[in-house]
Amino acid sequence: MTQRLSIIIVGGGASGVLLAAHLLRDSAMDLRVTLIEKRSEIGPGVAYSARQQDHVLNVAAPNMSAYAGDPDHFWRWLHERGLVGEDRFVFVSRRHYGTYLGDVLKGLADDGRLQVVHATVRRVAPGTNGVEVVLDSGTSILGHVAVLAVGHEEQPARSKGIAVRVGSSADTPIDRDAPVMILGSGLSMVDAWLTLSQAEHRGPVTVVSRHGLLPHSHRQVEKVELEAADVPFGTGLRYFVDWFRDIVAESAGRGSDWRGVVDALRPFNQRIWQAWSHDARVSFLEHIRPIWNIHRHRLPPDLHQRLADAVSTGQVQLIAGKFLDVRRDGSEVVATVRRKGVANTEEFRVARVYDCGGVSVDVEQSTNPVIGQLVADGTARADRLHIGLDVTEACEVIAVTGSPAERLFAIGPLTRGTFFEIEAIPDIRVQCAELATRLFRNADRVLERRLH
Amino acid sequence: MLTAKGKYGLKALVHMSQMQPGQLALATEMAAANNIPKKFLDAILGELRNAGIVQSRKGKGGGYRLARPAEEVKVGAIVRVLDGPLAPIPCASHTRYEACDDCDVETCQVRHMMLDVRNAIAEVLDKTTLAQMRDMDGDVLPLELRTA
Repeated sequence: MTQRLSIIIVGGGASGVLLAAHLLRDSAMDLRVTLIEKRSEIGPGVAYSARQQDHVLNVAAPNMSAYAGDPDHFWRWLHERGLVGEDRFVFVSRRHYGTYLGDVLKGLADDGRLQVVHATVRRVAPGTNGVEVVLDSGTSILGHVAVLAVGHEEQPARSKGIAVRVGSSADTPIDRDAPVMILGSGLSMVDAWLTLSQAEHRGPVTVVSRHGLLPHSHRQVEKVELEAADVPFGTGLRYFVDWFRDIVAESAGRGSDWRGVVDALRPFNQRIWQAWSHDARVSFLEHIRPIWNIHRHRLPPDLHQRLADAVSTGQVQLIAGKFLDVRRDGSEVVATVRRKGVANTEEFRVARVYDCGGVSVDVEQSTNPVIGQLVADGTARADRLHIGLDVTEACEVIAVTGSPAERLFAIGPLTRGTFFEIEAIPDIRVQCAELATRLFRNADRVLERRLH
Repeated sequence: MLTAKGKYGLKALVHMSQMQPGQLALATEMAAANNIPKKFLDAILGELRNAGIVQSRKGKGGGYRLARPAEEVKVGAIVRVLDGPLAPIPCASHTRYEACDDCDVETCQVRHMMLDVRNAIAEVLDKTTLAQMRDMDGDVLPLELRTA
């Protein structure tokens, strides 16, 4: 008797849905997919739950299809609903994308191969015969393999629970004229600032980050063509940066700019990262990443303009420096900051501190119980840089012993130690497609032993 | 195409990959053992050092060694550093592109084919590590047929 391959996906946000979609897309595949999500909606997750209209995608709509091989899939979906016109350089609301992801799955879920479970996962335990996934209710679900698709950390990792995430339950209404502080100056900061603007917040906003750099703006520029044969993989960091600068200078002469080069490199970023030595990676994270991020993760032009205006009027004040400490003082919060290049510290008295800091959190400090448990029992470990979970290039979770799991995989931002460029849809969909293919190919092996 | 510079650089790196761990190779020895003009080799080693592929130590007991284990170094990385973007003819490169005087780049079939060729070259060179290249023993049979 042939057995059906059973795959459990932990997390029903963008990565989980994309993987389910790639698994179920071929209706001839005999398998069972169980998608476990604690939220009531499948698809949006943390990334695409934004309820505000001007929380838009930071990638132009035509690049956001669920399927790399069908690049207009999302564009058609938008068109059918009258959400876009003819202009393809458009940044649609993120909540539309969450709905789209839900629809992608609905379209594939009518043949009984998909089971959606709304629950919080407490424990994942891979064994020799299969994987046991234990829910909060105590119920166990058994599968041949399990895939962790838990996305970004949801709790701020620093600031002793005093700083809050925007839009979380701790983010209660505040006086509209009160000063606030935002930690971090990247795209999450922009989201927070937009939320404040939407609530007609008038008080000053102090933004503190290590370098005080704001994201650059998107702009339509001449496309730069790069192929693998052009890209110097596996060199030292300095050499690579020099090469990058040369290419930018050349491209500027041809009607493009650094945006064209950053975008042209996109398909190779994972390979560039993987070809670097450990030392080169450390050095990149330390010295280059802040600058890279503001060029790579850009803002739609109109948002960028609004932000620039707020900075020039002084409503937003940017501080390059280190956030040192935070304490409560009555109804207020006092934050201690040391500006870059200055010895003494400064105290800021604000109504609230929002944490929009780096999303790469050491998994050993994870607030997600599943990740915490897997790391604690040695089934998984932090990658060498402590920016995610250690996985092979085939997405197999690596145990503390160094051996890759046969039945436990991870996808999405959690795998950034191995892939680095793995936080946005265009990369995650490719990762999902490849993992789906490998799971099919290895189906015989994991099916050999019967589920208990 | 692989220039003399690329070829000499690869030979020097194979030489270094055969050294005992911790040992340094002298430029004069590498030049003599591989028939490479010494001055030329010095320039090549300088470029490999700038690219982070080799490390050097000056003075007595000085010399060169690989910055990373030979198993981690891809031949493609070395060739790109020494000869620039992989391209069988000058027009078949996007970054170091040199147009031909006598043809239209958009419609030139030769160029289109050569763009495919460069991708094939890149694939082979990026799949092969310096250690694998070192262990090719000059046998006439390709690797995959030898075990039979």
